[in-house]
Formats: sequence, structure tokens, C-alpha cells
Amino acid sequence: MSLLSIKNLSVETAYDSRVLVNNVSFEIEKGEAVGVVGESGSGKTLSALSILGLLPRGVQISSGSILYNGKDLVTCDSETLRSIRGREISMIYQDPMTALNPVMKLGDQLREVIDSHQSNNSDINQMIFDAFKEVGIPDPERAFHSYPHEFSGGMRQRVMIAMALILSPELLIADEPTTALDVTIQQQILALVLEERRKRNMSMLWITHDLGVVANLVDKVIVMYAGRIVEIGSVERIFNAPQHPYTAGLLASLPKASDKNRTRLASIPGVPPKPWLVGDSCAFAPRCSRAIEQCKYTKPELANAGGTSSACFNRVGA
Amino acid sequence: MTSRVKEKSWLHYYLRSTSGVIGAILVFLMVLLSLIAAFKLYPHDPVLQDIENTLKGPSGKYWFGTDQFGRDIFSRCLDGMRRSMIVSIFSVAIATVVGVTLGILGGYFGRWFDSVVVRMSDVIFAFPAILLALAIVNSLGNSWIDTSLAIAVVYTPIFIRVARGPVLSTKEMDYVKSARILGFSSPRILVSHILPNVLAPIVVQIALSLSWAILTESGLSFLGLGTQPPNASLGLMVSDAQALAAFAWWTLAFPSLFITIAVVGLNLVGDGLRDSLDPARRNS
Amino acid sequence: MSLDLAGATKRYKIRATGTEINALNGISLSLPEGKTLGIVGESGCGKSTLARLIVGLEKPTEGSILWRGQEIADKSHDAFRTRLSKTQLVFQDPYSSLNPRQRIGECIAEVIRVHKLRPDNEISARVEELLTVVGIAPDLQHRYPHQLSGGQRQRVSVARALAAEPDLLVLDEPVSALDVSVRADVMNLLVDLREKFGLTYLFISHDLSMIRHISDLIAVMYLGKIVEYGTWQEVLENPKHPYTRALIEAMPDHTVIGRGNIAKPLTGEVPDPANMPTGCAFHLRCPISQPICSQRIPDLMKLSNSHSVACPEVI
Repeated sequence: MSLLSIKNLSVETAYDSRVLVNNVSFEIEKGEAVGVVGESGSGKTLSALSILGLLPRGVQISSGSILYNGKDLVTCDSETLRSIRGREISMIYQDPMTALNPVMKLGDQLREVIDSHQSNNSDINQMIFDAFKEVGIPDPERAFHSYPHEFSGGMRQRVMIAMALILSPELLIADEPTTALDVTIQQQILALVLEERRKRNMSMLWITHDLGVVANLVDKVIVMYAGRIVEIGSVERIFNAPQHPYTAGLLASLPKASDKNRTRLASIPGVPPKPWLVGDSCAFAPRCSRAIEQCKYTKPELANAGGTSSACFNRVGA
Repeated sequence: MTSRVKEKSWLHYYLRSTSGVIGAILVFLMVLLSLIAAFKLYPHDPVLQDIENTLKGPSGKYWFGTDQFGRDIFSRCLDGMRRSMIVSIFSVAIATVVGVTLGILGGYFGRWFDSVVVRMSDVIFAFPAILLALAIVNSLGNSWIDTSLAIAVVYTPIFIRVARGPVLSTKEMDYVKSARILGFSSPRILVSHILPNVLAPIVVQIALSLSWAILTESGLSFLGLGTQPPNASLGLMVSDAQALAAFAWWTLAFPSLFITIAVVGLNLVGDGLRDSLDPARRNS
Repeated sequence: MSLDLAGATKRYKIRATGTEINALNGISLSLPEGKTLGIVGESGCGKSTLARLIVGLEKPTEGSILWRGQEIADKSHDAFRTRLSKTQLVFQDPYSSLNPRQRIGECIAEVIRVHKLRPDNEISARVEELLTVVGIAPDLQHRYPHQLSGGQRQRVSVARALAAEPDLLVLDEPVSALDVSVRADVMNLLVDLREKFGLTYLFISHDLSMIRHISDLIAVMYLGKIVEYGTWQEVLENPKHPYTRALIEAMPDHTVIGRGNIAKPLTGEVPDPANMPTGCAFHLRCPISQPICSQRIPDLMKLSNSHSVACPEVI
């Protein structure tokens, strides 16, 4: 059984039922790292927020199930969900400044996480010091009594990670945690998360728009476009033999460090559509150079071909 | 074929909001009633006393009844509304012109001028509004111009803040920096790039302040400092009705209703304007 | 004819503490007209300050910035204005760089009108021409910025900059805020415009892959100083400075599948500019740091005619 199994998840706006995430299904195995790649509005963040029941106001799950160890997180009561949050599934965010309480000492914020899940803790302070040390915070004693604003962006992200890992979760969800950081700091954070993952054999769901980050980080890649999954496969297959024209186009549009002549970038014309405005057609068809007649009036479903699943009638390399 | 979008005016969006339309109707009604009073088209003379007919309930002759001196309450409401309108429009106009000018110039140019403007408005803010108005009216006099000036002084710092804050944030926007790089002059940047982007909160503030000014004028009259008897003012009428309301409800109900209509109407208009003036807010 | 910086320095005073920080510390470089200089570095390295100085938004505290031999921060107002139109800036965020209350056609027309670049009756034709040049259908000119996508807005920003008929265009992270799938399109546009109008670019980015794609010359900056300077091949294929090497290592590369194997990161963080280390600003993070590095401030030294580096340890 998979650790987490999302089946036919759809998310819509509560007010006017605009579809934001459309029929998304995927699994995360124990110890597996999964990357979700997509542009803004592709539904990648909403899919992840659905798992913890953290969808923003005005947005709701319209159908589907999210099975965690066999328990459906969509239908379970809020107490069960609360007991899973933070302890079994935890999350790190893009902006640690808004995710940390600005008027509370960091040590107290970590203590709160522990207190809300465990009743008898002999030595919480030691636990917190260890957690700070683990994520590479130089002076844990001082950090314990500091406020978030006294730390740099990279250090705050480390605190967030300490907070997310302190109860040894099974699954860590990361929503673009390195996007706001400088590249050398991003690399530090990636190295830290990878090391922790290896130590704990923790599963990971990494959401990003950066294909370069995903290539180095995960085992499985999910590519989302306009609220749907367009391709799903192992990291090698997605990057070396992409099947969906969107995936292939995205990869081709990135400048390559090996290109001596700096050839013109292969661009994708147009912009992504709003998910709710896509009718019975492939959402990518208007921008797609491989589009055929069928793409305009039939919605392609995910289908397996050679180890990769892609939603396309005219696959690249087929 | 071409997607030449004819951009709709703010009015189109304003009219889509139900509460905005209701507000506009109420405000229109107020203006109409004030005009009736201005042209002395009311059924009775508002200051004419009639000892035979004191404290009569609403009837075909006296629609809103009469007060303790036998004066027609309907006519007095119309005239009171006119007076309130004049005072509130005049005071808010002064506060807007002075406050917005100071706020925009202070916010844009900063330095010592800004400090002076901010300190000044802080000092005025430090006094409770009605106390300050009381003090000013006391030292100036009781004419409607004095009342208006007093209210204007109280409201000017509000307009300074409403204008200055958005100017400070707009000034830092890339499009203003880019206007500077493009070599535009300061007056041009102020008028075509900053003012349009800070106008919406100012317009909304004008609508809201008009309604508060009506309340302040009523309050001053209630305390005996605004409009002087025998002239009618909505606030004065409410004040006079205090002792009578227990057995002559109409003396309190109708002036209160007029104040409510004015305040609610202007507030709704303010909300409607806020939503329709912002191009980015219209689609939601 | 070139852009010449000689010891350009910008200091800011922090009011709360009364201390001064060096946002830009003695930058000297010469960019020949028609070439593209890529400037790469992390936050706090001074790349945006440099952009503001070059377009004249701010004046250098010390040193000079000459465009075609003429001082950019000229004090006479008229010279200031005409010079301004010759150097233009395209901002990173296409959402805040256009006036939300101004239709996009008007925002371009305004530039032409204010500087009297065309007779009144030719302005609308010129606006349509500029929009076409950047790949925007002219009938979109009546739209407001919020009715356009991020990529379209960035094109409008470019069109407006072009309306001033500049020779030097400073591009401050012009594609970083855009969706991945539209970045290539805008990059191609920038390359095309450079060829078409013979523009000189100063391309600022934290993204080495974009810098690599567009630059003739590259300057790597760290804490207000240039640490390495050279042609793009020299800097990227034969990097000398340990910081340049670390940046290249840290750049996520989609052509290498890592499965969790990433290069050993640089330790530590960029120091606070208000509390700079003595000696070489990089020595606390440097993998090849020597004891002397904490005492000696390294100068940019020539390795070849075009390639220079500010680290005596690698020469």
C-alpha cells in the first residue's frame, strides 16, 4: 500500500465552482521523493494544500479522496486531521517569514508543536536544541530565545525545517521552500533536506516551478498544466525522454550549459489558460506544435506508455 | 475578429452593485429634498409657530406632525437637511482641498515639509473631534460658515493621511521610478502617475466624510453650538425632541430618519465607489 | 564609444545606527557599445544599485559613470533629461512597473509626447509600431495592464523603454518573475531587439543560465565588488574565483539527473553589509581561504586582456 494515495482529486472555488484542480491522481510510496512541477495557476500548490486540509478560504475539494495509510483525509474529522498534521505529515513553505509567528520566540514555537501532539515530554528543551543543531543553526541556545526577524531568510528556512522535522514525520511537503533564497543558500537548504530525508527514510513531496531543482532532488516527477496532470514518470524518463509536448517544450526552452553556440531558445507561444476555461479539449493544444484534430475536441486522459504516463494523443517520440 | 476591447467606464461597474445603486438613490433623494427647501417649496414655513396646533401627530395637513411650538416637522426636516448638506459639503470641500494637497506634496517630496505636515495633523488628531469642533465654534461664532470651518479643521488631518499613505507606497512603485528614468517632470509624475492611483481612497473618504460631517453638524447643533433656534437643523430637532419623544414619537422619529438616510446613503455610495474605481477590483 | 565606470561607489547611511554601508564599492569597468554585459550575484551584491546609478535614478557617492564620454550624473537638469532617454531600465516585476490606471498605448505615447520625439499626428502610428516590434497586437493598446499576462506586460515595459529611443538598456532580472514557459519567448525577443536596434545591454540576473545565454561579457559581483570579469566563455568555462565556481556549482542544472546527489554547498551566508569582515569580503565562506585573506583586500587583477579576477590565490 502506498503511504499517500490521491485519487481523482478535484478542487474548485466555493463561490462559482471554477475548477482549479481537475481529477488529479498520484501515489507517494514510503521513502519516495516526488516532485510536482508546474507554472503559477497549474494547481500544484492547491493539490498539496488539499492533503493537509489547508486550502485557502473560498476554495474547496469538490471530489476525490486522499488516502494516507488507508485513512481518507478528505472525509475524516478535524481532530484526526489535526493529529496527523505536524506529526505524520508536515510542511515547509516558500516564505518562512509569514509561516513563523513574528512575536513568539523560536524556541516557544517549536515547543508548541511538540506540546500539541505529545503529553509527556521529559526534556523538551533538549529536543529543541537538538533539532536546531540538526538543521545547522550555529548557536541553538541563542536561537531558542530569538525572534524570527533576527534571522536571515536562509536561517528562517532552517528553523522551519527544524519545526517540520521535530516530530519525525512520515511525509514532508515542501512548497517552493527555496524560491525566495539565493542560489548558494538554496543549495544549502537542498543539501540539508536531502540529508534529513536519507537519515529518516522520509517521503517527500516537493512543489516547484524550477525543473533544475527537481532534476537533482526527486525520484518521480509529476508535471501539471492548467489544473491537470499531463505527465508522470521517473525523473530519468521525464528529463531524458519526455512524452508530453508541454514537458518536452519546457525542457527545450531552458538554456543549456553545454550549448556552445547559444542557439535561439525553443519557445512555447502563448500563455497557460485558466483551468476552468478549458472545455472538452487538451488544455495545451492551442500552444502545441504537435496538436492534431483530435486534441481540439477530446480531452486526453493519462495513459501509460513505456513506463511513463502522459495525457496526449500525439506523444513526443511515439 | 479583432479583440478591440472597449473599456467600460467606472459607472458601468458602479451600477452593477446593488448597494451602490441604493446609496445613490438615497443621496439623490437627499439632494432633492434639500433643493425643495432651498426654493422654499415646503408646505409650511419651518419657523412659523402655531400655538393652536402644538404636538399634533402626523396627518394630511402635517405629514410628520408638529412640534411643541406647532411648527411643521416635515418642513423643518427639509430645511434642516438643506442646512446639514450645505455645512457638510462646504466643510468636506475645504478639508479635501487642503488635506489632499498637503498629504500628496508631503508624501511625494518628504523631508522637512512632510515632517511639519505630519506633526500638524498629529496635533489635531490628538484632540477628540467633537471637543475640537466645540472649541473652534466657541471661538469663531455660530454662523454656518464658522461651523463648516470647525468641521473642516477636524477633518483635514484625515484627508492628509488618506492621501499621504498611498502616495508613500505609490512613490516606491516601479512605474513611478520608471517615469523618473523616462525624464518626466515632477508635476507630470504627480498628476498622471500618482494622483490617479491615490484617487480612489480619497473619493471614498469624501463620501464617508460627508456623512460624518452631517453627524458632527447634528452633534454640534444638539449641543447648542451649530444652528441656532428658531432655524431648523436635524441635530437641533433631535435635541429638542428628547423630552417629547415619550408622548410625541414623531418629533424624534422623522429627524432621526433623515439623518439615517443621509448617513447610510453616503456610506453606501462610498463603498460602491471604492469597488468601481479600481480597475483591478472590478472583475472580482 | 562605451559605458565607462571608474571607481563607482555608492554609500548609504543607515539612519537608525548612524553607520554607513557600501552598497557599491569602487566598480570600474568598460563596456563597448553594442555589447551585452551580464551581471550576476546574490542579494546584497549591489547589482540593483548599479542599475539605478547607470540610469541616473541615484548619483554615485564617489567615482564616475560615463556614457559616450559624458557624465551620467550631470547636474544640469536639461542635460539630465536628454541623457535619461538614452539609458533606460526594464524592471523585474511586470506587475508593478506599469501604471495600473493607464492604458498601455497611452503609457507608450506619453514618452513620445513628453520628449517630442514625433510630431503629434505620428504618435499613434509610432505606438502601434513599437507594440508590433515587441510582439503585442496593436489592438491591445486600449487595455489596462491588469488585462494582460505577465509576459505581455514585460513586453509593454520593453516597448515603453524603446519609445525613448535609448542606446543602453538596463535589464534588471527581466524574466525572473515570469512563468517558465514564457521566459524563452521574452529572452528571444531581447536578443532580436539587440540585433535590430544595435542596443547595448546591461543584463542583471541571479540566474546564470540566462546570463550565459545572452551576455558577451560577464561580471560576477559579491558584496558591492566585482570579483571576476571577462568574456562569457572565460568566466563560465574557465572560472577562477572561488565564488564564481561556487555559483556555477550551485546553479540547479536540469540536464544532470541527481537522484539526491548535489554538490557540496558553500558554507555560511552573505555577511551583513553593515558589518563587513576585514580583508576579502568572501574569505569567511571561501573554501581556499588563507590566513592572509582576512587582512588583504584583493584588487581585480588581469589574467589576460579581457579576464580579471579579485583573488591572488588563484593567479
